[in-house]
Amino acid sequence: MQDKRCSLKEAVQMIQDGSMITFSGFTIWRRPMAAIYEMLRQGKRNLHLIEVNSGTHTEMLIGAGAVSIWESCWNGHELYGKVPYCMDRKMKSGEIIVEDYSHQHILYRMQAGAAGVPYLPTWASRGTDILNPEYDMLGKAGLRDGKNPHIPFQKFGYAPDPFYDEGEIILVPAARPDVCIIHAQQVGEEGTVRVMGQTFSDEQAAKAADKVIVIAEEIVPESYLREDPDRNLLPSYMVDAIVEVPWGAHPTGMYGCYDVDGAFINDFATASKTESGTQDWLDEWVYGVGSHEEYLDKLNVSRLMNLRTNSFYKYSTRAKRGSN
Amino acid sequence: MEKVLVQNKMYAAPGEYTAADLLAVAAAREVNNDEVVFAGTGLPVLAVMLAAQTTAPDCKVIYEAGTIGSRSTSLPSSVGDPRCVEGCSIASGLLDVFDQLQRGRVDLAFLGGAEIDQYGNVNTTVVGDYLNPDMRFPGSGGNNDINSLAKRTVFIMVQEKRRFKEEVDYLTSPGWRVRQWPSGEWMHRRQAYGKKFLGGPSAVISNMAVYRFDEETGKMYVDTLHPGITEEILQENTGFTLDFSRCRGETLPPTHEELDILYGVVDPEGIFLPKK
Repeated sequence: MQDKRCSLKEAVQMIQDGSMITFSGFTIWRRPMAAIYEMLRQGKRNLHLIEVNSGTHTEMLIGAGAVSIWESCWNGHELYGKVPYCMDRKMKSGEIIVEDYSHQHILYRMQAGAAGVPYLPTWASRGTDILNPEYDMLGKAGLRDGKNPHIPFQKFGYAPDPFYDEGEIILVPAARPDVCIIHAQQVGEEGTVRVMGQTFSDEQAAKAADKVIVIAEEIVPESYLREDPDRNLLPSYMVDAIVEVPWGAHPTGMYGCYDVDGAFINDFATASKTESGTQDWLDEWVYGVGSHEEYLDKLNVSRLMNLRTNSFYKYSTRAKRGSN
Repeated sequence: MEKVLVQNKMYAAPGEYTAADLLAVAAAREVNNDEVVFAGTGLPVLAVMLAAQTTAPDCKVIYEAGTIGSRSTSLPSSVGDPRCVEGCSIASGLLDVFDQLQRGRVDLAFLGGAEIDQYGNVNTTVVGDYLNPDMRFPGSGGNNDINSLAKRTVFIMVQEKRRFKEEVDYLTSPGWRVRQWPSGEWMHRRQAYGKKFLGGPSAVISNMAVYRFDEETGKMYVDTLHPGITEEILQENTGFTLDFSRCRGETLPPTHEELDILYGVVDPEGIFLPKK
């Protein structure tokens, strides 16, 4: 059996410039941040992101100039910054194409990809500008000509319901990403993936992708994961690379491991208001550190210990959250 | 028609509560017991947690990121928070809960927005021309889906003239009178959704008033004015002509008990409600 274990550097080297990529997690939770930082250090370019929703990691990739197409439905930092400044800037300068869908649309696009069908029907969004044909941005850019296998001929399709006469239903095209990067609590030595807490849209994202890279807080024996198979999310044969990176989702939060580092995300969100602020922040926290280990050293132990979760509650009981 | 809603000394006096307190309390009062409530991040979480502690102990809360029936003892700062998992009956993912939404299982949902028009159409995507925007906002998220497919939705919004508009810059989320694409024709929501019509926006709660909708004309009208707000002040802060003909009087302020629960039980850390 091929050993899928590799270094973070090697795993990220599997990603080609121009690839279509998707990630685990939800907004500011369980994002594969160590892999994002490494992608930036390796200077990945021209990425096509497709995400059920985006977050801090997306803003970093966009801010660094690594993204040329974004298809999703939401981008921000939740409580820690409501405006996606990097996307706003790159959209206005024409450096990035933004294609808006809704949660349900992208979710069903992933599910269609995962199920191996070209599209799925949905009722969501009737009557809204998401369906406005004038706002088909990939079409406007002339990219729906079939030359890029990741870009469907149409943003949406429509078909009359042939079974129950419920009217014309909206069709969303399958998403077929090249790579899905997952950050999980545990992965087996052979690649079986266990995700604890909410699974968000990880299953659909991973199954839709051609290649799956799993970064985990810990690599554990397969036999251990097989004691409770009902808690596992993905079988090993779907996984192409496994990497052990403790704290690899920082500053996003992770059920049972560590809480969101809100102050850190807020610092980035504030810096991202300007182009120079973004570059300075990336110089300090991404390009200025050689590895994830150096990044953790720079954060320091007491900061991380404050975020560490209580093993009963699965969240940190020490992290200061509100203003009281 | 009852012009002044009943008040007595259990209600807090002006100065004893903030606009955010009133928003949370008014929103919580929209929840009926036993309903399945879909909640997004922010004030909606505050409102459903307060409702669960007061008038609707049997409501079932679904958080958008995939937890069902949470019994959180610590306020989730977002719907992806591990605090949503505490005491929940199912921790799953988005596919599960959005399938349930489309299936018609959701009675009530709370939403926010950057702009709203008189038909309850909401914009959370851009300010300005979509093709040449002044400012980009986070985008639809689940706003569009939830407003498309829940039986009732309640919007919680800040009242400003530039936010309460004649027509929204981008129609992210469907209200009562919507544009049917690909033709772009305006039509009543009931017509646009056909056999899949499940309901629509039922209220807007701002920091100044509570609005409801006439389901036939699809138009918003003023239901109650928050204490201290006059018709003139409200109209000055609205970009379209308001209908006061069905106004019932003043919004009931928070009770002391509701405030105690909000600050003592729901948000003692001051995540959404900093200490006054």
